[in-house]
Amino acid sequence: MSTGGVDSRRVVFSWVMLAPFLVLFLVFVVYPLIQSAFLAANQTFGPGTRTFVGTKNFELLISDPVFWKAIRNTFIYALGSLFVQLPIAFLLALALNSPKLRGRGIYRLIFFSPQLMGLVFVSILGALAFEKRAGLINQALDAAGINDLLVWVTGNDAWLEPDWLQQHVMATLILISLWLYVGFNMIYFLAALQSVDKSLLEAAEIDGAGPWGKLRHVIFPSVKPVATFVILLSMIGSLQLFELPYILLESSGGPDNKGLTIVMYLYQNGFDLGDLGFASAIGWVLALILIGLALVQVKLTRAQEVNA
Amino acid sequence: MHRITNTILALRGLSSGVWVIATLFVISLILVLVRQPEQEGDLQFWVFSPEHAEMYAPLIEEHDASHGVKLDMTVMSIAAIQSRMMSGFFGGLPTADLIEVEKAVAPQAFMGPVDAIGFHDLTDLLLEEGLLTQLNEPSLSPWSVDGRVFGLPHDVHPVMLAYRADITEAAGIDLTLAETWEEYFRMLRPLMEDKDNDARPDHTPLSFWYTNQDLIETLMLQGDGQLFTPSGQPVIANERNAFLLATIVSWCVGPDRVAIDINEWSASGHQEKVDGLAIGYIAPDWMCSIWKMHVPGLEGKLKLMPLPAFEPGGRRTSVRGGTMLGIPKTTQQFDRAWDYAKLLYTSPEVARQLYREVDIISPVRSLWDDPVYNEPDPYFMNQRKGRMYIELAPGIPLRPSSPYNKQAAIDVRDAALNLAEYANRNSVYNAEDLIPEAIRLLDRVQARVEQRMSRNAFAAEDLAAGDGEAQ
Repeated sequence: MSTGGVDSRRVVFSWVMLAPFLVLFLVFVVYPLIQSAFLAANQTFGPGTRTFVGTKNFELLISDPVFWKAIRNTFIYALGSLFVQLPIAFLLALALNSPKLRGRGIYRLIFFSPQLMGLVFVSILGALAFEKRAGLINQALDAAGINDLLVWVTGNDAWLEPDWLQQHVMATLILISLWLYVGFNMIYFLAALQSVDKSLLEAAEIDGAGPWGKLRHVIFPSVKPVATFVILLSMIGSLQLFELPYILLESSGGPDNKGLTIVMYLYQNGFDLGDLGFASAIGWVLALILIGLALVQVKLTRAQEVNA
Repeated sequence: MHRITNTILALRGLSSGVWVIATLFVISLILVLVRQPEQEGDLQFWVFSPEHAEMYAPLIEEHDASHGVKLDMTVMSIAAIQSRMMSGFFGGLPTADLIEVEKAVAPQAFMGPVDAIGFHDLTDLLLEEGLLTQLNEPSLSPWSVDGRVFGLPHDVHPVMLAYRADITEAAGIDLTLAETWEEYFRMLRPLMEDKDNDARPDHTPLSFWYTNQDLIETLMLQGDGQLFTPSGQPVIANERNAFLLATIVSWCVGPDRVAIDINEWSASGHQEKVDGLAIGYIAPDWMCSIWKMHVPGLEGKLKLMPLPAFEPGGRRTSVRGGTMLGIPKTTQQFDRAWDYAKLLYTSPEVARQLYREVDIISPVRSLWDDPVYNEPDPYFMNQRKGRMYIELAPGIPLRPSSPYNKQAAIDVRDAALNLAEYANRNSVYNAEDLIPEAIRLLDRVQARVEQRMSRNAFAAEDLAAGDGEAQ
């Protein structure tokens, strides 16, 4: 009887300790989630106006060319992260993991430091660096004669003074985000590289494996779980891209929506046009994509565990 | 006793981390409970411009002291005002008693039926107190819906052309003789040589680009282009708009282009202005103070003149930007808020200061005789700038208050970009030859805006009514 009393007190105590989190979770996560599901089935305009429209918001979304443009742009950015950002981060981690390199700590700090400045600051610096005539990038390209070379190769005079944020929006976003995220992802890879079993590397060396052989047969398999995690984290983060283009493109989707992302389109509809129902529908589509990616991650992780 | 002992034992078993968290929780709780809330004023006022706030502060203080009321003024960003205002209106939550709203934001509050607009309708009061006739009429249009006025205008923002008089006069060119854009560009041709061999003209006649949405809107308004009717129906795909779009895009394309994209706000853009890369700049009154602050190197080098017209006898000005003061319906003290609104927006002291501090002319016509507007401005070679802007003020174009205007203007900007790409791709640089493509692109914009509006139950009614009228 006494044991039962202690147990029930423990249960009550546990709930009391959990209560602050649960209350916040219910109010700020569960309730908005349910509310957004209702909103997605409604049309909302003006103060307190709501009409039930069923699945019309989703039907409109599917036929909306701007939404598809936002999807396309977002996936271009995500693929840029995957095929440009992460390989660079991995190569940097490999270089900074080498015991032969002097001042590794300083380099790590330097490459990680853009993270400490934050997205807004990086966006503002990026905008300055990519300015049309006076920007650092164009000045450097001009000084190196690359602009002239590009004009000669493409036959397009626009390369004389490339307007990065107007003509090459997604490429510019990917380049700016390299500066921000390469160092961040490098830390994950570095941690994974440092946990590679040294005896395996020694054994490979004894077996006559060269640098490529060690990389392929020892390092890659060892960092695979971390790489899977980083890839999925990076994909999910990329699909939620908002602040960078929002600041760089002055809160619009850029010329001809060349820099519009899914979350920006959601924001425009919800907060600029007041169409919360349509914005909720966009949110749910994004959520489904992210859930899909999370399921892929679970599947891949399980497969790795089974293989191991 | 046994229970108490058990509880103490259980607590002793907790880790040090739990104790740290618990201690922090208790300390925070005490601090929150002990902290005295700040003394709130009787009324709240949200402002987005620190310069405006600085001007209002002494007047508010004086008014507070003499009337025994306290108005709290809070400066916040335009985006913060937008989200707080709209959250308040959408959710029926309290907002400030007075809100100063920028032109890009205000129309969002005008979505929905007139009686559901979150601001008080001021029309009858303005009529009763004789203010409606005192205000510059076109300056009311962005804050009016179906003929009802929902905000007091803060400004007029007429537009002139600021040009590098030091360069033109040294070359013996009298730009004031240019009545049309065509004449203006022709007169400046001799300055477009490339003496420094950097593959671009040393001076380009105009700072303008087809990606600058604000300037596109300003020029289209000047040329009587129209995106919406006064009742809010979209009329984007029309021949006049196509002509204007083709004309202004033709300035930016081809080997003989006469416009250059100088950044209006960045340090490098300011340096390019000083370097004389462009001769002319489209300049609303508020831009003058920005140049004075950020480009002091241009002092004594610029002059102002009315904008050249699109055709002989055409409009010589336009309008860009704007602010209104609205009183939300949630205020419990309308009369007091109205007193403050009149004090801040119609008093000669504020009007005078507004001009002296930020070069903005008042929309109250009875104040236009103030000698402050006759003062010569050394930045603009001692021109009587205020008087020049006032002379143009009654002629500024009307602007729609449609909540869809912002998005429509963005879509028109995109159409301009597509038209420029078309021109470059096909080597078609003549405005007349670009018109058919401009019409096609504007048709697309019109369809998109109509689709957007058709989702709004109230706008859909307007659209249907518009169709009926057309038939």
